[in-house]
Amino acid sequence: MKKLIETYGTALAGLALFVFLAIFANNFLSTANLFNVLKQVSFLSILAFGFTFALITSELDLAFANLCSLSAVVIGFLISSDVAWPVAVAAGIATGLFGGLLNGFLVTVLKVPSLISTLGTASIANGLAFMITGGVAFVGRWDQNFLYLGRGKIGSVPVIILFTLAILAVVLVLSTQTRLGVHLQATGENEEAARRSGIDTRKAKMIGLALSGLGAGVTAMFLVANLSSAAPQMAGDFMLNGIAATLLGMTMFTPAKPNILGTFVGALIIVMLSNGLVLLGAQYYIQDIMLGIIIIVSVAVSASVLKRAAFAL
Amino acid sequence: MPVKISTRNIFKNYGAVEALKGVSVDVHEGEIHAICGDNGAGKSTFIKILAGVEQPDRGEIVVDGKPVHFDSPHASLTAGIATIHQDLAVAPEMTIYQNIFMGAELTRNVLGLRLLDKPAMRRAAVGYMAQLNPSITDMNAKVNELSGGQRQAVAISRALRWNADTVILDEPTAALGVRETEQVLDLVRSLKASGKTVILISHAMQDVAAVADRISILRTGKNQIDLEGGDLTADNLSHYILSGTGDRFH
Amino acid sequence: MKNIKYALAAASLAGAAVAGTQAYAFELGVVAFQMSAETQARCANTVGEKAKELGWDAQVLNSNGSLETHASQLDNLIQKGVDAMILCMSKPVQFDGQFQAAKDAGIPVITISSGASPHTLFDVTPNEYVMAAEAAIYTLGSINFEGNILAQKFESNTGARIRGEVLDLVLSENPQVKLVGEHSMARTKSWQDDVRNGMSALILQNAGNFGAVWASFDGQALIIDDLLKEGGMEKGDVALVSIDGGQEVYRRIKDPYSMMTATVAIPFEDMAASAVEMMQKIAVDGVAKEDLVPGPYLFIPATLVDKTNVDEFIVE
Ligand SMILES: Nc1ncnc2c1ncn2[C@@H]1O[C@H](COP(=O)(O)OP(=O)(O)OP(=O)(O)O)[C@@H](O)[C@H]1O
Ligand SMILES: [Mg+2]
Repeated sequence: MKKLIETYGTALAGLALFVFLAIFANNFLSTANLFNVLKQVSFLSILAFGFTFALITSELDLAFANLCSLSAVVIGFLISSDVAWPVAVAAGIATGLFGGLLNGFLVTVLKVPSLISTLGTASIANGLAFMITGGVAFVGRWDQNFLYLGRGKIGSVPVIILFTLAILAVVLVLSTQTRLGVHLQATGENEEAARRSGIDTRKAKMIGLALSGLGAGVTAMFLVANLSSAAPQMAGDFMLNGIAATLLGMTMFTPAKPNILGTFVGALIIVMLSNGLVLLGAQYYIQDIMLGIIIIVSVAVSASVLKRAAFAL
Repeated sequence: MPVKISTRNIFKNYGAVEALKGVSVDVHEGEIHAICGDNGAGKSTFIKILAGVEQPDRGEIVVDGKPVHFDSPHASLTAGIATIHQDLAVAPEMTIYQNIFMGAELTRNVLGLRLLDKPAMRRAAVGYMAQLNPSITDMNAKVNELSGGQRQAVAISRALRWNADTVILDEPTAALGVRETEQVLDLVRSLKASGKTVILISHAMQDVAAVADRISILRTGKNQIDLEGGDLTADNLSHYILSGTGDRFH
Repeated sequence: MKNIKYALAAASLAGAAVAGTQAYAFELGVVAFQMSAETQARCANTVGEKAKELGWDAQVLNSNGSLETHASQLDNLIQKGVDAMILCMSKPVQFDGQFQAAKDAGIPVITISSGASPHTLFDVTPNEYVMAAEAAIYTLGSINFEGNILAQKFESNTGARIRGEVLDLVLSENPQVKLVGEHSMARTKSWQDDVRNGMSALILQNAGNFGAVWASFDGQALIIDDLLKEGGMEKGDVALVSIDGGQEVYRRIKDPYSMMTATVAIPFEDMAASAVEMMQKIAVDGVAKEDLVPGPYLFIPATLVDKTNVDEFIVE
């Protein structure tokens, strides 16, 4: 029983929230709103998957949101310079990936603790984003095929939801059903044990942080396509939300461990909450207060991994 | 028997601490080679160098007649040497089977993808554990729920899993009861019977006397004495370690 | 520990319930893009207050300056099915999709200082060019159209850039006034430091050699005022002119130790009130939009504030 609550408690709370909103929040259950919620979950969860991979290897990536903004700006810059959109998208995703690899290099080769090094790359990414844009957003009525990624629908289903489900399936399999997945986990759980078992733990940490950057790049693509614009602080709000989704995820399924499914459900809960609060007529500050509570409570419930990552200084 | 592993003048400093000051040992193929010595004599350091966990400052390692450089544990493992370290190095938050198969997971083909074969790993894990501690059957249990001796069984199983030519055990019986100790010694004998080379570190002289074909005694980072097993008793061995001389008994 | 999870669930439900639903009233969604900017907070809060005076159910949201959050909030309000929306400092091109969706859902939208969109009723805004011209001419007038001035610009914001360009235009028609130093602010989180560094260098270089300082918005002017004070200047030594308005600026215009001379006050409260009033007429009373505001903009006049009229603006 205790184990059951430990494993599924938060998910059940999420279900309770769903039922509560279904009853009390007007229009919550309308098809349009449910797709609206899932669409918002898409951006948050893809970004948070990356952060989750880094955290699985016991490294904090505090740069993912800024890397996402930078990737977005790169895409926006290239598209508004009349570069073909697939090329722009590839360059944007490569930017995120490169940022992640840079974090990996700093952490594994130069041995700068991730808390510090990713804070540094976050600042660099922010600076570059402002440098490229001069602070002004790239805005335009861009190629419809590109915008389709963010705005397109098949029937009434936004295509981005389908992309997200596909990505969820891939990262879920990667993290739980492949050798690489367990190697990342073993590295995060006990780096020395993993190393002595023949696992290349430096490579594992490198991959964890690189996946975080990749997630930022892919999210950037969807964000830019959705808003048909790119601004230097585009993904600023995702920093806290992404971390919150991951931490909330650590309170379920495999308690006290970052895990992909947990992160997805965590993102779902956070987005449902913010959507529900609007539908219920709550004022803006309620949302910030709730997010703060979620973060503090999740950390209290599953602190050990975070402490290991944050305080391995 | 030919020499399986030979070390020549291994030196290793930890800062100002001279842990090894010229260790030269020949381990013969198919034998059980014990390494003894006081606390701090440098036994674990020597083992870590053979396992690729630490790199020597100086000296040479030769495996099957070829000089090798183990720059990582992975290099040592792929050269056919599996090691159970004194501190076990298990991941307490992971399950028994995950620990046993760490770094050498079993996979199967699913639609062209190489995915983990968890049932096979669980089944095989039960087999490994049964040789040491048949009472443990739930391979999904986390290692931090196990006793010290049970953890040791997990660490040994992991080394067995590598199916290496040479198995190194650094104080494998330290935390074990009488029955479990006997099981480990049986295991060591069966490793030998299957043609493997075993390096055994132990403070338990009766164990060493019972199984060792050859014994090296380390003292302050050097190998002082090399002996042939067979007719040695635990008391003899203790005397060598204490006196530090190779003189035969009066 | 596990109980905490229940506490969490309970807290979320309670929090939501507190803000819960009421009997039917006209529902107005209000979204400010970045409420940590004082002007936007004034704008959004005034809209909220005016709406409540009408007995409306006004819900104020803050997008924290994030494009994606803003889009989500607009989507959420549309799904909620609000009766109308008033948006402060939104962005028509970026949120074209959302505006279109609101229009399709029959939700009237009025924006404030956002720019025009084919999917909204109109944008309530001061005329940036008129304000800029007033500030520029006042600055030159303060030195009798002769002598040197310094300027603190900001290129990466459309409004602030227009102000700078109008200043340049006014200067080009008045060759007796020389712009001896100008600094353009970088748009970073530490813009205050940037202004401080750039301006203090200019003030040192041109010490005693300028009669007025022009700043593209009041936040910059306040920092420059401090620098001038630190440099030992007194009221009357140089004129300091800017644009935006706000209680702190008014206080300094009155303060005998501050260099702050004049500002052009954007009447955010008036803009907010007009937006609500217009929404009332259009969405409730059914007046045709064209009869009230013929084009895409509703211009609200801004007022130049200096020592002669500052008392009218100070709220005790
Ligand atoms: N990582 C390290 N850093 C510094 N000194 C070390 C380190 N590891 C071992 N030493 C030192 O090296 C010497 C040899 O240690 P080692 O662990 O090899 O001894 P041992 O023979 O295995 O002892 P025991 O029987 O207690 O296990 C000791 O003086 C020890 O303090
Ligand atoms: Mg030892």
